[in-house]
Amino acid sequence: MLWDWSFAISIIPTLWEGVKITILATLLGSVVAAVAGLAIALLRRSTSLLVCKPVAFLAEFFRGTPLLVQLYVLFYVLPDIGITLSPLVAGVIGLGVHYATYTAEVYRAGIDNVARGQWEAAKAVNLTASQTWTRIILPQAVPPMIPALANYFIAMFKETPLLSAITILELMNQARSIANFNYRYIEPMTMVGVFFLVISLISVFGLRWLERRYGRVGS
Amino acid sequence: MTAHAAVPPIIEVDRVSKSFGDFKVLDELSFSVAPAEKLALIGPSGSGKTTILRILMTLESIDSGHIRIEGEELYHMEKGGRLVPADEAHLHRMRAKIGMVFQLFNLFPHMCVLDNVTLAPVLTKGVAKEAAKRRAMELLDMVGLADKAKAMPAQLSGGQKQRVAIARALALEPRIMLFDEVTSALDPELVEEVLAVMHRLARETDMTMLLVTHEMGFAHDFADRVMFFDRGRIVEQGPPSEIFTNPREERTQGFLRKIIAAGHRI
Repeated sequence: MLWDWSFAISIIPTLWEGVKITILATLLGSVVAAVAGLAIALLRRSTSLLVCKPVAFLAEFFRGTPLLVQLYVLFYVLPDIGITLSPLVAGVIGLGVHYATYTAEVYRAGIDNVARGQWEAAKAVNLTASQTWTRIILPQAVPPMIPALANYFIAMFKETPLLSAITILELMNQARSIANFNYRYIEPMTMVGVFFLVISLISVFGLRWLERRYGRVGS
Repeated sequence: MTAHAAVPPIIEVDRVSKSFGDFKVLDELSFSVAPAEKLALIGPSGSGKTTILRILMTLESIDSGHIRIEGEELYHMEKGGRLVPADEAHLHRMRAKIGMVFQLFNLFPHMCVLDNVTLAPVLTKGVAKEAAKRRAMELLDMVGLADKAKAMPAQLSGGQKQRVAIARALALEPRIMLFDEVTSALDPELVEEVLAVMHRLARETDMTMLLVTHEMGFAHDFADRVMFFDRGRIVEQGPPSEIFTNPREERTQGFLRKIIAAGHRI
């Protein structure tokens, strides 16, 4: 028989270790993407050309180059100039910053969608710029963009196998080493697919819930 | 109460010009407002009256000229004996003297009515939360909405929203209140409840009030002085009895005729 059940079951604990790393990298990467994306979106709104132009250029650069290349640079090239990152740190930064350039666009659209009158009312009640952002604009801008952000986090999750390129023992890397060691590919690779599918389906289910919860705002 | 020479004006607009692109909205405009005066600005749309309120609230900048609030420059500040453009800290300090109510209410939709009213006093004036809440309840009571304190803005009618917006502006105790076409977006049957609140304010407070309106009847009853604007200039001004019943200028007469023909009462 092509499929060996006892072999499949025996590799579950090792694959599970990989699943944990995959989920950890996705969660940390999502946090970086959420925070850095907001920073990019805010800096791009700066009235100072010295701030907004370089940030816009860097964002385009990170979005326009492959994530795999960025991961190689972070992990294999940076040590040449004295910056050595652990694989997970390099991976989280790579995933997070790459996806931040996408989430920044989500933030930009969300912020633009807040009515101009809200800015004016904030000024009329004499809020400072930072109070206006934290109390008036972001609380209205963020809820409608949560489904779009979550969508990117799910996309990021499915790109985590790239982290195997910089020695992170995430799910794909674990499966590959099992396969290489045992010369059996069908069970490990099938199970990687199943793991990703199950977690993606759960995430999509969660996303639908978020859309229902935050889809309508301002009403 | 018209401007007395003896009382220094609370607002001085001094040769202020403002253009949007090629369109000159305000052209060397000068006028002053006495403390506690109720001033109504009327005129055709595009005549610059709303722009004046927006400039006083620092929502628009000016191209040239000076504005003084209680004798202090709004858009300029002294630095090394010279007048320089005001920085954000100066604008922030000056804004505390002025409140504004908008045509489209601009309530904060993610906060309940009470939070809309208490947010700014707590954040900008350091008022204690409890004291701000008590004051907000008094103000909501005054505008007849004490029972809506926990409601969200989306649950209110237009007239109720506008009354909350008035309470929100009053909570900061401004010396000057600006009302920008505050009844224009309301269904006709809701106009009266907002005007009643404003009448009460005019009677019971010594706030200086500037009002841009198309409600000529209200301007007549409310204002100490009416200014008729056209093309960024004051065409004519005087007590409402004079402007509405006996306007001297042809353009004022023409405007009032059109307004009456459009069904507005005086």
